[in-house]
Amino acid sequence: MVNLTIDGKAIQAEEGSTILQAAQAHGMRIPFLCYHPAIKAIGSCRICVVEVKPGPPRPQPACTTKVAEGMEVVTNSEKLQDIRRELVKFMLINHPLDCPWCDKGGECELQNLTHELGIAEVDYEAVRKPINNDFDSKLIERYNTRCVTCGRCVRVCKERVGASAINFENRAYFTDLGSGQVPLNCEFCGTCIEVCPVGALINKLFKYGARAWEMTATPAICQFCGGGCDYEVHVKDGQVKRVRRDEGNPLLCVRGRFGFGVISSDQRLKAPLIKKGGQLVEVSWDEALDFAAQGLMQVMAKGGPSAIYGIGSPRATNESNYVFQKFFRVVLGTNQIDNPGRYNYWRAVEGMAQVFGWPEIDGLNPEVLKYAKPFHSTLTLSEEAKGKGFPFVMGQTAKLKEADAVLVIGADVTPEMPPYGWALMEALQKEDFRLIVANPRKTKYDRYAHKKLRYRPGTERALVLGLMAAMVAANPDLAPQLPAEGWAACKEILQGVSLDDIAKQTGVAVADLQAAAATLLQAQAPAIIFGNDLLAQANGKENVVAVANLFLLIGQPANAGSGLYPIAEKNNTHGVCDVGVVPNLLPGYQPLAAGEKFGKIWNKVPSTIPGLTLDEALTRLENNAVNAPQAFYILGGDMIRQLPNSQRIRSILQKARFIVYQGAFMTEVAKLADVILPVGVHAEVNGTYTNTDGRLGQTRAAVSANGVRPGWQIITALSQKLDQPLEYASAEDIFKEMVSLMPIYVGLQPGYRWPCPDLKADIKGTFVPFSVEPEALGEGDFTLIVGKTMGHSGSFTTFAAGPMIVNGTQTLQINAEDAGKLGVAAGDTVTVSSAQGRIAVPVAVNDDLPAGVVFLADHFAEPLANSLTSNSNLCRVNIQKG
Amino acid sequence: MDLQRLEGILSRYACQPADLIPVLQDIQDSYNYLPKDELKVVAERLHLPLAQVFSVATFFTMFSLVPKGKHVCKVCVGTTCHLKGGQRLAESLSNRLGVDIGYTTKDMNFTLETVACLGSCAQAPVMMIDDTYYARVTVDKVPKILKKYQ
Ligand code: SF4
Ligand code: SF4
Ligand code: SF4
Ligand code: FES
Ligand code: FES
Repeated sequence: MVNLTIDGKAIQAEEGSTILQAAQAHGMRIPFLCYHPAIKAIGSCRICVVEVKPGPPRPQPACTTKVAEGMEVVTNSEKLQDIRRELVKFMLINHPLDCPWCDKGGECELQNLTHELGIAEVDYEAVRKPINNDFDSKLIERYNTRCVTCGRCVRVCKERVGASAINFENRAYFTDLGSGQVPLNCEFCGTCIEVCPVGALINKLFKYGARAWEMTATPAICQFCGGGCDYEVHVKDGQVKRVRRDEGNPLLCVRGRFGFGVISSDQRLKAPLIKKGGQLVEVSWDEALDFAAQGLMQVMAKGGPSAIYGIGSPRATNESNYVFQKFFRVVLGTNQIDNPGRYNYWRAVEGMAQVFGWPEIDGLNPEVLKYAKPFHSTLTLSEEAKGKGFPFVMGQTAKLKEADAVLVIGADVTPEMPPYGWALMEALQKEDFRLIVANPRKTKYDRYAHKKLRYRPGTERALVLGLMAAMVAANPDLAPQLPAEGWAACKEILQGVSLDDIAKQTGVAVADLQAAAATLLQAQAPAIIFGNDLLAQANGKENVVAVANLFLLIGQPANAGSGLYPIAEKNNTHGVCDVGVVPNLLPGYQPLAAGEKFGKIWNKVPSTIPGLTLDEALTRLENNAVNAPQAFYILGGDMIRQLPNSQRIRSILQKARFIVYQGAFMTEVAKLADVILPVGVHAEVNGTYTNTDGRLGQTRAAVSANGVRPGWQIITALSQKLDQPLEYASAEDIFKEMVSLMPIYVGLQPGYRWPCPDLKADIKGTFVPFSVEPEALGEGDFTLIVGKTMGHSGSFTTFAAGPMIVNGTQTLQINAEDAGKLGVAAGDTVTVSSAQGRIAVPVAVNDDLPAGVVFLADHFAEPLANSLTSNSNLCRVNIQKG
Repeated sequence: MDLQRLEGILSRYACQPADLIPVLQDIQDSYNYLPKDELKVVAERLHLPLAQVFSVATFFTMFSLVPKGKHVCKVCVGTTCHLKGGQRLAESLSNRLGVDIGYTTKDMNFTLETVACLGSCAQAPVMMIDDTYYARVTVDKVPKILKKYQ
């Protein structure tokens, strides 16, 4: 701590902090402009000048001058105010004073400074700067006339977002903001809008929507990826006008910032529908619930409870999903439930569990707290509480920046999980940080990677094996830092691996493998990020086993940042798994055999017979197997778009005798339903989500649900119709019951993550052999990758204006050379065909793809990318012009 | 776009981000300006954001985003030249050529610019056409000088 005085007041400040920070920490205001807490201070505007003794005879910028022992700081002398006044006047020379119609009015820092400094007149004149506004860009308008060239936007885009999409042009007095003399075409994260002190950058979706003081802010959690950013929704007249994050961390992605339109989308399902004479017709809630209950009962009468199959939702709250699994286990009496993560994130869970074990927590205090704050765990730790299993090797986003080497494999970080990308940008500010990006395609972080490994699609396991073998070859005495079983046998296998063969299989040169291996081996805090490209393959679980083996060899989870970072696809992908929407585990990854404990609270012991996994259930129905499920109760989503082989999924669901769809939109699956129960989305409901880190986020109803209902209320209403009512007063109530049964959530509360950091971790792993057989992809000239693109999250965001403005249509991404060979140019239509189906789709020429590899996104209904795939996100296809 | 000419320039470099300024200089020399389409290719090939390429391209006076004339005429309006009538000289050139300062004649023969100091204050007022200095230029000498380039 450093002692100093500011305006005569003696204070203590953190060593290394700036005068501005010290003053702010003590509630003293120093005016500033180019400074913003989210970016590095550059001291360019000089609004924050202060007099410093001892120090140079000129005023010093408070935002870049560090505190020192015995320093005396004056912040508001007449001389300083004069300087500030003159500086602001210079800004006002060119400022258009658009305040009456500028969206920033009322929250504009220039307005406030002018007011604070009492400037009533600008006694300067100068030539007007040429007008260079940008009104053509898709979501952001730029009024250069209002810009005060503070550079916050340029720096936030470069430092934090990593896009560098805007920059200054020209110089001196004529310095002007630009985006390459074309309309801004960037990630459209909108972070620049957030940090701009004035109204130079305007959110087109918000424009003229409200004055700053007319809106009420309610905290909520974004629903569009596993990051679960906490933000505020700003509401006027019952409508969400914009969302915002806090000053210190203004980062959101395009979905979060511009995707809130899902809430008020005119495509929302607003009233319950039932199928009458082949048509879906609007009915009352009561009629719909009766119809649903009868339909389910009829199926049960013939096939028993296991004839009904439940599919939980990675977007619904923990509370809704918990009640959903309880509905199946208690009301119906079956474990026939699963969630769509089966085809993606669950593979990460199972793969990591194979190597590091399932979570187990020992040493909880036996008593359950009677009273706890809302959404706080009611379980407590005893002194000697211990935990083990894969969650203890999982990293957390907040620590990722402390890793010293990161391997990104099989993930396109920004479209899949922007928060990991922001963390990488922070890590990249460190000199000695090393980034390795392994992906068949060029992705955003290639620009920053110290090593790029461009492997052939489907050869991830061979690549990982190659990295491990190169490590052993470089250091024959290598041994894992963590306690591990099976190392001797594994090492023997690795010693037998020929790097040349790996290079042949993967297409990655031996020298690159060795260099990447050396980097990872030297790291003290290595981290591995992996995502959809690797998880959505048929062998996704094996891929994760390989990655987990690699981490067992190099990982040092005791060092901050070191960990496995799987990408959970949606806001509650992690949560839906945690709370037991799986056929073989009870909430908290507890075995079905532990059902007694649940029976005490549920008044019924759940069955110990595991249910079918989602893929087994679908296959049984496809094959008309005797014990195939006959009815589905589906919580949202669009399996037809998102699971491989759309036609197959569609025709299986068509076979079902009865489908209850509880969702927000008329998706392809909803169209097949017999009953549709419209559900509330994030800003309409109370409850919690668990993000990719295991962090609990609390969302609050900010706008009226207008006739739709929170998910859990629909499920409990249905249980009443089935004469076995599940009764809860609120989401808090459900949470309280749920956490009392979930030791893994001990100590959890909003903003905290599980496992509780106070648990002593007992980390152990086992090397699990894995094969490097490439996936069978079928026949065809090209390899198709089906994956995620910027701006979208599942099918959800295709119902929101913002993301659709930026990225509204399906295109086949193909590189220029391949396009040339096919004789097609951007915008031309091609027919893509595989053994499963064919689609016509326009071409987008994109040299991020290597020769022979093409890409389609799985978000769009038309045309359906997954009508080409068979059981994986990869398949071989043929492409024809026309 | 004359891709071959651009490729010729790019082939002389390893195409690292640090090559930006030399590449832009070569393009300026070869094309007499920096065509926007070419800059897009440069951004891609040097792995640089487009906004950064334009930031550099517009920062330095040696670069121009609009085609320059066959001859560039720079009139000094630095302190000494200013006192000795540099401004008047510039205006006279502007009248005679029929273009504003900073612009290029319709026939693309001359670009007229002013500069701050050409480093020959002793001979003020000074002007330069391409690489040739003209010292103590009085307004009446202008037609004769221009004739050499017409
Ligand atoms: S929207 Fe995001 S990516 Fe685009 S310029 Fe602004 S900060 Fe950069
Ligand atoms: S647009 Fe806003 S943030 Fe960017 S430089 Fe101008 S005033 Fe600053
Ligand atoms: S989609 Fe993910 S990264 Fe984007 S705002 Fe939402 S939670 Fe944050
Ligand atoms: S805020 Fe300190 S110099 Fe701009
Ligand atoms: S002022 Fe003209 S040459 Fe120096």
